[in-house]
Amino acid sequence: MSPQSPASSSLKIDVGEEGNQVTLHGSLDIRSLVEAKESLGQLLGKGKSATLDLTDLSGLDTPGALFLCGLRGKGVVLNGMRAEHKALLDLIGELELKPLPKLIPASRARQLVMRLGKGADDTWHDALDIVTFIGRAASLIGNSLLHPRSLRVASISRHIAETGIEALPIVGLMAVMISIVIGYQSVAQLRPFGGEEFTVNLVAVSVLREMGVLITAILVAGRSGSAFAAEIGVMKMREEIDALEVMGIDSMQVLVLPRLIGLIIALPLLAFFADIMGLFGGSMISLSLLDLAPLQYLERVQRSVDGWDLFVGLSKAPIFAFVIGIIGCMHGLRVTGSAESVGQETTRAVVKAIFLVIVLDALFSILFEQLGI
Amino acid sequence: MSDRAPSHGKPILLARDIVNRFGKQVVHDKISLEVFSGEIIGIAGGSGSGKSVLLKTLIGLRQPNAGEVLLDGKRIDAIGPAEKAALIGVLFQQGALFSSLSVAQNIMLPLREHTDLPPEEQKAITAMKLALAGLQAATGIKFPSELSGGMIKRAALARALALDPRILFLDEPTSGLDPIIASGIDALIQQLNHGLGVTVVIVTHDLTTLFTICDRIAVLADGTITVDTLDNLLRSKQPWIHELLHGPRAEGARLGATTARKRNHGSG
Repeated sequence: MSPQSPASSSLKIDVGEEGNQVTLHGSLDIRSLVEAKESLGQLLGKGKSATLDLTDLSGLDTPGALFLCGLRGKGVVLNGMRAEHKALLDLIGELELKPLPKLIPASRARQLVMRLGKGADDTWHDALDIVTFIGRAASLIGNSLLHPRSLRVASISRHIAETGIEALPIVGLMAVMISIVIGYQSVAQLRPFGGEEFTVNLVAVSVLREMGVLITAILVAGRSGSAFAAEIGVMKMREEIDALEVMGIDSMQVLVLPRLIGLIIALPLLAFFADIMGLFGGSMISLSLLDLAPLQYLERVQRSVDGWDLFVGLSKAPIFAFVIGIIGCMHGLRVTGSAESVGQETTRAVVKAIFLVIVLDALFSILFEQLGI
Repeated sequence: MSDRAPSHGKPILLARDIVNRFGKQVVHDKISLEVFSGEIIGIAGGSGSGKSVLLKTLIGLRQPNAGEVLLDGKRIDAIGPAEKAALIGVLFQQGALFSSLSVAQNIMLPLREHTDLPPEEQKAITAMKLALAGLQAATGIKFPSELSGGMIKRAALARALALDPRILFLDEPTSGLDPIIASGIDALIQQLNHGLGVTVVIVTHDLTTLFTICDRIAVLADGTITVDTLDNLLRSKQPWIHELLHGPRAEGARLGATTARKRNHGSG
């Protein structure tokens, strides 16, 4: 407590000749409490009856009063107390004081078992929640396909703009970068075998089939998945979701569905844009490393890939979009009262969405391989 | 409370010629307010009359467009953070408890930041503040989201009291509470004022609070302020004050306040 006025924080303790007559001068407050406890504890802890003279005590706050109450309880006689100090002492003395309850931590081994069990239980409930949520969302989508009028077009188009159009620059940039990385690596690996012209094939195939859509999905999971979770989470925290429910409006219908449909429309388009930009990055790499003119490059691309590769890549996009949207919205709706839980659920949404996108992509690779497409 | 009239010496809080403006809209036009040590002063005013803005100005969260606020004789913007924390405690309208900390941790935060007390001592003081605010010690381990409205106000009050401030600012301490809990809060404020000698500034709409526990009332209307005791204000001709103190809700509150005051005089 440096900036306090020094006069108010000073406490002087005078001990009488007998050793059991103590006089306090100055102020007994939160700043002088530790000092007072140390000196008085020694003096008064000897089991003799003692007297404490408080005539000159100028200031007393609640911690000080609590300490004096404790002394009084031990049989120390308090003399010459001022009226306002007595009022404070009476107030504190009447309180029913109990120590704060302690949280007794479990032993290490038990904690480990508990965490394991809790983790398994959480995962199980998580899986059930996802299945339920997917079911509800799917039935709503099916329903809205039957009754297209129930779709909120304005809301959907806003989400397409937010998740799609606004993400164009960053997605395009990432796609160019990724194809440059792939291009460089392939040239370096293929040159010793004299096969560097196959770089074009490698870039084109990997961008169209895998990288374009995967990079886009991961970016959108980080960008829009977190936004969904946070937006819906804050609405949940401020009871806006409850307000919707009371008005007889299904929160799934107005909050989840437009986001989901918007993302399912936006992500394939974004992925297509990423494919184009990826091929553009490939042409840059070919020009600088292989001296391949853009027209020649395009001809090469045409020979190495066809529409089917593009389709295989893009066919994954709506599924990724569905997963990202579902996870984001679901975690948003799981937010409870505190600001902390918004952060927690947002983090979980992003991590889980990216994880699932990559797992699904791996499964697709195996599936397409087995099907021979 | 008339028997314990504030000592009209040096004011502990002095606001001088405060002007607050938002664009062209003037909320406060050169208003002045003196708060004396040990009194309970209520600030009333219609919605939009600038009660919250005045409160923010008084506690130094808002720099007024003109005028100055003196706290304990010093300009409020010249007071260091630690000293300010020891001088004023604020109960915000929604409590403003930190939702990621337990109630006990909320109360302990200012103690930990501004004192060198050992943890055991901090815990004992926290338990005392909880009891002082009328909460069970077991409430200490709960989180703000688990508390009811009345408990949030009490917990926030306990936190505002953490460093034994000399002035307590209460923003709508009884809003959103049922009448029984609200009277409990009123009684608590009075008890703290008596026992701790803390000066209390209450911003409120609650007529019962104004009539029952406030020594003086400051009424904000039309950008000006009128500060006086209830008895004098009751004779005021100012239309808004008349409406406030003689309206249909005021009659009932006054009736209740009279009985409450009698009861207080009888017991204390």
